[in-house]
Amino acid sequence: MSSIQINNVTKRFGEFTAVSDLSIDIEDGEFVALLGPSGCGKTTTMNMIAGLEEATEGEILFNGQDLSHTPIQQRNIGFVFQNYAIFTHMTVYKNLSYGLEVNNVPKDQITSRVAAMAKRMNLTHCLDAPAASLSVNEMQKLAIGRSAIAEPRIFLLDEPLSNLDAGFRAYMRSELKVLQREFGQTMIYVTHDQIEAMSLADKIAIIDQGKLMQYGSPLEVYNNPCNRFVANFVGSPKINLLDGQIKGANGSTKLITQGGAEVALQGKISSDFAKLKSSKGGSIGIRPQDIYFGEKRASDDIQLHGYVEELERVGPKRLVHLQVHRTQIVAEDERDALSIGDEVEFFLTADKCMAFDLDSGDRLTGGAA
Amino acid sequence: MTELSSNTSASLASNVGEKRGYWSRVGRDGRKLGKWFVAPTVALLIFIVIFPLLMQLYLSFTWWTPLDGVPWYQAYESFNWGENYLILAYDPAFWAALWRTAMIMLVAVPAQFFLGLGLAYLFIDKFPGRKVFYSIVLTPMMVVPAVVGLMFFLLFQGTGPVNDSLGLPASFSWLTDPNRALISVIIADTWQWTPLMFLILLAGMLGVPSDQLLAARLLGGSNWQNFYKIILPRMKSVIAIAIVLRLVECFKIFDLIFIMTSGGPGVATETISLFLYKKTFADLDWAYVGAVGLAVLIVLSLIAAFGLSRVAKNKG
Ligand SMILES: Nc1ncnc2c1ncn2[C@@H]1O[C@H](COP(=O)(O)OP(=O)(O)O)[C@@H](O)[C@H]1O
Ligand SMILES: [Mg+2]
Repeated sequence: MSSIQINNVTKRFGEFTAVSDLSIDIEDGEFVALLGPSGCGKTTTMNMIAGLEEATEGEILFNGQDLSHTPIQQRNIGFVFQNYAIFTHMTVYKNLSYGLEVNNVPKDQITSRVAAMAKRMNLTHCLDAPAASLSVNEMQKLAIGRSAIAEPRIFLLDEPLSNLDAGFRAYMRSELKVLQREFGQTMIYVTHDQIEAMSLADKIAIIDQGKLMQYGSPLEVYNNPCNRFVANFVGSPKINLLDGQIKGANGSTKLITQGGAEVALQGKISSDFAKLKSSKGGSIGIRPQDIYFGEKRASDDIQLHGYVEELERVGPKRLVHLQVHRTQIVAEDERDALSIGDEVEFFLTADKCMAFDLDSGDRLTGGAA
Repeated sequence: MTELSSNTSASLASNVGEKRGYWSRVGRDGRKLGKWFVAPTVALLIFIVIFPLLMQLYLSFTWWTPLDGVPWYQAYESFNWGENYLILAYDPAFWAALWRTAMIMLVAVPAQFFLGLGLAYLFIDKFPGRKVFYSIVLTPMMVVPAVVGLMFFLLFQGTGPVNDSLGLPASFSWLTDPNRALISVIIADTWQWTPLMFLILLAGMLGVPSDQLLAARLLGGSNWQNFYKIILPRMKSVIAIAIVLRLVECFKIFDLIFIMTSGGPGVATETISLFLYKKTFADLDWAYVGAVGLAVLIVLSLIAAFGLSRVAKNKG
């Protein structure tokens, strides 16, 4: 068990910077997800934590201790590889016992611990089978069991679910949560799937192009994204982003989209944009469930007019794709009363609107008002 | 609309069915026809491979020599009911040559194996200058064996570089001392063929998935444990092939020894190949050579069959 501090870590491969000035604090026993698109440096970060890759700059501390000069073998880090890295020339039993055997654990202990882990992972029936004969799902469980059996101080999982079929993925997701509670270990979990990260992690570190975008609890990240990338990356259905030029000042601000739609802004959102400096324009972020139809509920809510282009049913919800001057907006339709082609008035809840600088992507908050 | 689509899909299906029937029929007839096409080639191959062996077998059952003045196909005139094989069984020179050959095999091949394995292990990780060293390590393999023989002939002279660098007197002879001559030959062969072992074993080692090695390391396995439990077991087939290849090659060793010692001093380095050479060109005892050759072929086939059956077993 261990806390982890990643302090200003940079990793360069030649000229290319894969991870840039990354700092993350992980408390003992926490479940942290590294979330980001493919190629953003998640695996590289994991490799540096595990010691498979050396940081170009910065340091990684375990309980305040720098392990960079400790051989990988003695770090006691559990690592589940993206493709499991099962020892295919051995039996399932030998796979599970490997970490114990090489650490000279007494024979009788090995037998009982392997049996317990096999039972925990539902692998008892195939203990003597060659590991190569397992299904992908079983390999996944074996990979986790093999790392967990040695009781590592921390547990790293690199996209452990991405190769699984949908049903088993959902099962493993809840299983992982249970396992983490049982083991009580600090876990770092890499994924490019924001739903996975949101549902599993205590904290999420969102990374883009090697840089940390935001680090916080799933709700924080969802409700209060610190930039346009995070807002866009987190949440399903996706957030709506209205890009355009900000015109006017002091009370009567307008956002004019490329399609020519004029969105009048009042109150908080208007003052947020007072901070905008870039000439490229600004961007309003609003989640589909924060758009409503019917009567205006608050005076600052933004009123828009559009027609219904498409209706989409996602589970019990109905999503409406609205077209406003060649800009598409997706809203959740609670009333279930619209049909394709309808012209409607709808409202963006003012409190939930977020202002972003279109150039830097930064969140703009708290202007003069 | 639905009618049309069902029609098309039906006709598509029947088309596919027809096609399948058509091709399978061609396949059946074609195979029959194909046999006739390849027959001449097969016949030629069988002739080329089998004929020399049959000829050898035939001659080995006679007393025939080229001095007889009888063409080889009339060798039956001196048919001897396999007496050559009886002579062979009691020929001390043959058994001594076989023993020397075995000595070289049993020392040189393991030496080359362990050196090659060690070198290969050094080369699985990247290090500066790896490519250059790689080329250097492979060079001996590219040298013509006769030239290697000459090189080591010069190196092992009484006043040569080996004695000079070891501070040994010129009277300390390598190639003219019966024991040391064999050792010299083994050293030369090892120098030349360790690279081949290295090359094959490195290929096998690089075939071990690197993430499995990392996983083993993360689980706490020392380099030695991981080598022994992960790398070696996965290389079984490659190791078997490399060793069989070298054993068979080593059994046939000739050029190196011919240049270095010509089988001497005396017969101290006379291997099977040199023995055969002498019987062929010095004694002109071709019928006997045929008998020895067939016996050797059987030994080699046994080595290869044993080694390669292990490969097949690993596959399955
Ligand atoms: N050994 C390497 N040499 C050069 N570039 C690398 C190396 N490993 C990773 N990269 C690059 O670093 C970036 C991040 O890679 P990675 O950490 O694997 O991303 P991901 O977030 O998909 O796991 C990628 O663009 C990749 O091409
Ligand atoms: Mg990755």
